[in-house]
Amino acid sequence: MRPSPFLILFLAAAVAGCFFSGWSSYDFIQHLDRQVHGIHCSFIPGVTKADLTGSSGCAVTMMSPYSSILRSTVWGGIPISLGGFSVFAWLLYRGLDILLQRRERERGTTGFLALGAVLPFMTSLGMGWLSIVELGAACKLCIGIYLSSTLALAGAVGMWRRAVKMAEGADGGMDSGGLDSGGLDSGGMDSGGLDGGIGQEMPGHLAGFASGVAFVAAPALLYLALAPDYSRFIGVCGELPKPEDPNKVMVALDQNLTGIPTVEIFDPLCPSCRGFESRLDASGLAPRLHRSAVLFPLDNTCNWMVQTTLHPGACTVSEAILCADEKRVDAVIGWAFENQEEIRAEAAAILAGAADTPEAAQKAADQAAAATTARVTAAFPELKACVGSARVRQKLNQSLRWAVANRIPVLTPQVYVRNQKLCDEDTDLGMDWALARLIEREEKR
Amino acid sequence: MNTPLHFGLAAGLLAIPTLLTGLWISSADARLKESEASAERALKAGEEKEEVAVAAAATASYCDGDLRKILRRTLQSCGLLSTGEVRGCQPMEAKNIAMLAGGDFNSLFGPLKDRAGIIQFDQDSAELDQADAALLDRMFADQRGASYFFVVSRSSPEGSAIYNRDLSQRRMKSVMDHLRTTFNDHALDQEVGLLSLGEEVQQLDQEFCTWQRSGQGTVCQTDDLNRSAFIAWIDCSL
Repeated sequence: MRPSPFLILFLAAAVAGCFFSGWSSYDFIQHLDRQVHGIHCSFIPGVTKADLTGSSGCAVTMMSPYSSILRSTVWGGIPISLGGFSVFAWLLYRGLDILLQRRERERGTTGFLALGAVLPFMTSLGMGWLSIVELGAACKLCIGIYLSSTLALAGAVGMWRRAVKMAEGADGGMDSGGLDSGGLDSGGMDSGGLDGGIGQEMPGHLAGFASGVAFVAAPALLYLALAPDYSRFIGVCGELPKPEDPNKVMVALDQNLTGIPTVEIFDPLCPSCRGFESRLDASGLAPRLHRSAVLFPLDNTCNWMVQTTLHPGACTVSEAILCADEKRVDAVIGWAFENQEEIRAEAAAILAGAADTPEAAQKAADQAAAATTARVTAAFPELKACVGSARVRQKLNQSLRWAVANRIPVLTPQVYVRNQKLCDEDTDLGMDWALARLIEREEKR
Repeated sequence: MNTPLHFGLAAGLLAIPTLLTGLWISSADARLKESEASAERALKAGEEKEEVAVAAAATASYCDGDLRKILRRTLQSCGLLSTGEVRGCQPMEAKNIAMLAGGDFNSLFGPLKDRAGIIQFDQDSAELDQADAALLDRMFADQRGASYFFVVSRSSPEGSAIYNRDLSQRRMKSVMDHLRTTFNDHALDQEVGLLSLGEEVQQLDQEFCTWQRSGQGTVCQTDDLNRSAFIAWIDCSL
């Protein structure tokens, strides 16, 4: 008997699902060495170059709190994609079993497979929603997984419906409800309906379910067992030599005065800072901290330590944050996070259009600052008199001088819990695990 | 059902994610250990650790030789580097400092043209008007990576030298008072270097008419230029 197109579709989708989720798992797991790696973000991973900028949708998705589970138990957590890899491998196993043992006409077997294919499909729906609505990121590897799970479900349902129809034909109209019928298929094999069959084939389905659990559990348990021990990196990444704030440049990020004093080196237009805030919110660790931000825009219109502007417009937005009163700081930061891409793109376009002379560059920088000021004051008219004023520019400069006094590295975000640095390698994937341990350590002091 | 085939398939396909997971993690762990070992080896060999840039004050290319000498001397003579206290060189000290560069004192500031301005006072006045304050605020707020703010006050030659020394001092104080009241900067006393030159030393010449001045648009004669406080951020770290 030749395999039906549904089975071929199903097998192809399962292979594709293994391929995409395998790549995604590989990208995640290689970060366990605490180094910077490119992330594959393509429908043909391995052929195109991995992205090293961290700006791709796949990087945003991977660094989000939704990319893994058990994040406070194991550094980085167990990647969701590994679960996907396991499930697709299980689907492939069930599909190949159907192919090689010629069980395509069994209603119970195909119905069970269709049920199994619902799991990755539903997960894909949920992850896709999070990706688009929460993260605003399009991750090509993830889209590959979503498509694979959709096609796998389509193939499995098609197979099952075909099996039901064939069984109905074989029953000769004796039993009209394929779902409830059970009975024999045309080949004389015991097929079982999805309901009636489950009763008859319960042991087989239980074994199938158990095999699915084993497929998911085995790699996950192995992951837990083999994940490196990172405890030696807690609290060894330096401290602030001069944490005092005589010029009051720190911006309070919460009113949680009982929490451990924590300083974040912060750029409002930095995607990693936005990602960090999102992970911190999701981690549930924020209530244990009393957080303040030191503004450190990676924009050379105000920050002389930056050779090339990484986040155009960040100086102006930082001024707006310094101008905002305590109650509005959150709103300005939230607005900056929401509009990061647009603000950066507009300022970058103005700067890029400048001729290659110092005068033209200065003029373009002034125009870019004016454009960003117009945006920010349109959103917060009460800041109009303050943004761009001599006093706030000087205050931002004092913020940068605080960084100089503390000899901090020129990068964002950085986090200091009671002056102890959270290692830079621990501000993304490993944040939940490492920050929780640093907090525990500082709470005991 | 062919049981061996069934279980063989299950085992084979279960092995794929399991073995790959193990392989990838082991490989990451090995890289982690190797990077730690190589950092340790480099440390033992006394090699510099490769790190990202560290926040530091700016040092411009013009910051050398005489300018550095004058900067250091101004800050020391005014008691800043040693005690961190206030303030202002006495006229004779200022004269000595200005003489350090021979006749080239003013030309030392040439490279600072974009970072400097001239606050032009009215004749026989040490009061900052609106335009003066605006230029001073704008210049001071544009600190960027500079560590030191120079204020060099002068007087035009009308009147006696003693009177003009006093006038020059008052102009210097006026600038400093404005900075103190306008900007809440705890490092102000450590970063502002004050020189009061009166009418006697290193008068500004016509060349400075093209610099940023609070009296922009008015007639620019050397007398106007020297009823002034020359202000500049200096991108030098000592």
